[in-house]
Amino acid sequence: MSASTMCTTALSFTRTNGLCLGNYALRLLNRTATYSTALSTNNGKGFPNRGIRGPRRPKRESGAPRTEKMPENQDWTAVYPSAAPFKPSAVPLPVRMGYPVNRGVPAEKKGNLELMKIPNFLHLTPAAIQKHCDALKPFCTEWPAGLDSDAAREEHFPIQVESKEFVSAGSSLRNPKTRVVTLRVKLSSLNLDEHARKKMVKLVGDRYCEETDTLTIVTENCPLRQQNYDYAMYLLTVLYHESWKTEVWEAEKTRADMEEYHWDDSRSQKNVLDTLRRMRVTSEGEEDPGAVREELLGQPEVQEYRESVTRLKNEGETEETMLQYREAVKKLLNV
Amino acid sequence: MTLHRLSLRLRQAVTQARHLHSSRRGQQLEAVAVEPELPKELSFFRTRESDPACHAEVHMGQYYTLSPVHLRTVFPHGLPSRFQLQMKTFNETCVMVRQPALELISHLKKADYSKPAVRYMFYGANGCGKTISLCHALHYCYTQGWLVLHIPDAHLWVKNCKELLPSTFSPSRFDQPIEASHWLRNFKITNEPLLSKLKTTQRYVWTKRESTEEGRTLAELVEQGVARVRTSSDVVGALLKELRLQAGQPMEGRQEGFRLAVAVDGVNALWGRTSLKKEDKSVVAPEELTLIHNLRKMMKNDWCGGAVISSLSQTGSLFKPKDVYLPQELLGEDGFDDMDPFVPVPVSNYSEKESESCYLYYMDRNWLQHPHSRTEEGKKELLFLSNRNPNVLERLCASL
Repeated sequence: MSASTMCTTALSFTRTNGLCLGNYALRLLNRTATYSTALSTNNGKGFPNRGIRGPRRPKRESGAPRTEKMPENQDWTAVYPSAAPFKPSAVPLPVRMGYPVNRGVPAEKKGNLELMKIPNFLHLTPAAIQKHCDALKPFCTEWPAGLDSDAAREEHFPIQVESKEFVSAGSSLRNPKTRVVTLRVKLSSLNLDEHARKKMVKLVGDRYCEETDTLTIVTENCPLRQQNYDYAMYLLTVLYHESWKTEVWEAEKTRADMEEYHWDDSRSQKNVLDTLRRMRVTSEGEEDPGAVREELLGQPEVQEYRESVTRLKNEGETEETMLQYREAVKKLLNV
Repeated sequence: MTLHRLSLRLRQAVTQARHLHSSRRGQQLEAVAVEPELPKELSFFRTRESDPACHAEVHMGQYYTLSPVHLRTVFPHGLPSRFQLQMKTFNETCVMVRQPALELISHLKKADYSKPAVRYMFYGANGCGKTISLCHALHYCYTQGWLVLHIPDAHLWVKNCKELLPSTFSPSRFDQPIEASHWLRNFKITNEPLLSKLKTTQRYVWTKRESTEEGRTLAELVEQGVARVRTSSDVVGALLKELRLQAGQPMEGRQEGFRLAVAVDGVNALWGRTSLKKEDKSVVAPEELTLIHNLRKMMKNDWCGGAVISSLSQTGSLFKPKDVYLPQELLGEDGFDDMDPFVPVPVSNYSEKESESCYLYYMDRNWLQHPHSRTEEGKKELLFLSNRNPNVLERLCASL
């Protein structure tokens, strides 16, 4: 009662004074007048038409989900033309995702937050990719005919330079990761002799992979990609020239620095020569040491022994190499 | 099934034989009837041939018994501890004749002892029987009248040493008096007769008042070491030097000299790391120990008239992972270069025949008490669980 009188007085007040309060102010007045009385309860979900007094828009019935209307030969790229979250009503697959609660089954796709959270590639089906390719085709040139095999590519383009581009919508277009440049080259394609190759491998250290014979130089010191590329090419040039030079101190290379095991001048050779010499001296008299040494080294048993020891040290120790060593020693010592 | 019956009969035969020996009552007719069967039945996994020199391929996989006399002299400290427990329990010492030991013995028979000493090395996975093969070969050497220099486990000299004295001979080295005197005592037990015939070739001065003159017997030298514990490590060094010089040289009463068998178990200890520390907490290197230093000199092949038989051991080794067993891995670069060229002898797990005979031996000794282990299935289970590894099989059977 009081409300209606307040309302009419407010309205009359506005009319008589010629003031236009506006809809918002009116609604505010209505709201303040009606809060204390229990008038209407919120039966609908969310807050449709929140706070609207008067006739509400009638709720429309949702139609059948799009999945039921999809023909089998439809164009999927029209359903998902670009990256979009997972829409259960638009994806006709009976997907389930989630932890099965109470020995049940994973939750269905309808209203499934897990499916919506994860990234999906529904916009990148083969058909969509084909369309992208067709769109890009006019801008492309032909792949050179002579470069159809790996070997041809290696021969003509031994150096491979890799860098990444990043595209994202944000406040800045720049991405600091774009400045990284990776340069890959096979040492077999460089003109290096034995000494230069060993020196190069020692200079680069971890950057060389023995199995694939690839040297990888990653540069990210400079702020721009162009600068990093120049730096990588400079490093390659310097490495190449330095490895061809022989420094004075390289003559001090010791056995421990050697990459491979050489049997000549090793402890093993000395031991064997000593043993054999002692075995001979017990049966014969003194002889010229140099000639004896040459003769001993020339024997087939010694050659076999030398091979087995080199194999043992270079290839590592296995049952097989050990057995080969065993046979060689037995022949050598006449056991 | 047949094997089961066979083992039953064996047990019967053995118990009857024991019965015969223990009580001298009647039933001798029965015993006589059983006796001729005994040799035929026993020879499946045992052999009567107790002289290692006569062991041949025929005896492979069979157990031969060591006589107690030999046992006390040759192996006062040589056998592994678990084997010693087994000896005490079974009241006899039975060693299986296996291929690696036979191979080594055949090499020793054929070798020319005027040439430098050949070095042999047993290698194989843990628990394969390297130490026992070494002992078998050593038994052969003893029966042939060689001088046996047996270091049962070189690892014992590089760890857990209670007393490390600075060496009297060389200031940078360390002595281990307890280990040295203990070893000298056992060495004396093994080689008494030969030691009393050999003489020293130079004068050794131990302290201001004590010295050993030239021409004294080596037995006296050893006595000196056992009695004066402080200088025992140097005595060991002197002894090794003397033996090296004199092996193969003709001596009184014989045309050719005695032969020296140097047997070292756990030879990789000589080139590994030690767990001993000096007073300033820095680690002692193996070459700084007198005993190790002298032993390394012995391992070189610059002397003639004998052989060096060694075996690797991961079990007692320090700072080595559990699964290494190949020579180069355990010896290291230095060790391999020092021992090169040597003849490696691989020792592997039991073959089928050997594992059969091991099982029958345990059955015969009534070692397997669990009823299921006496069945065919139980036997298969045991062999599968142990993968025919001698040590593992022994440990499994011990708990049954």
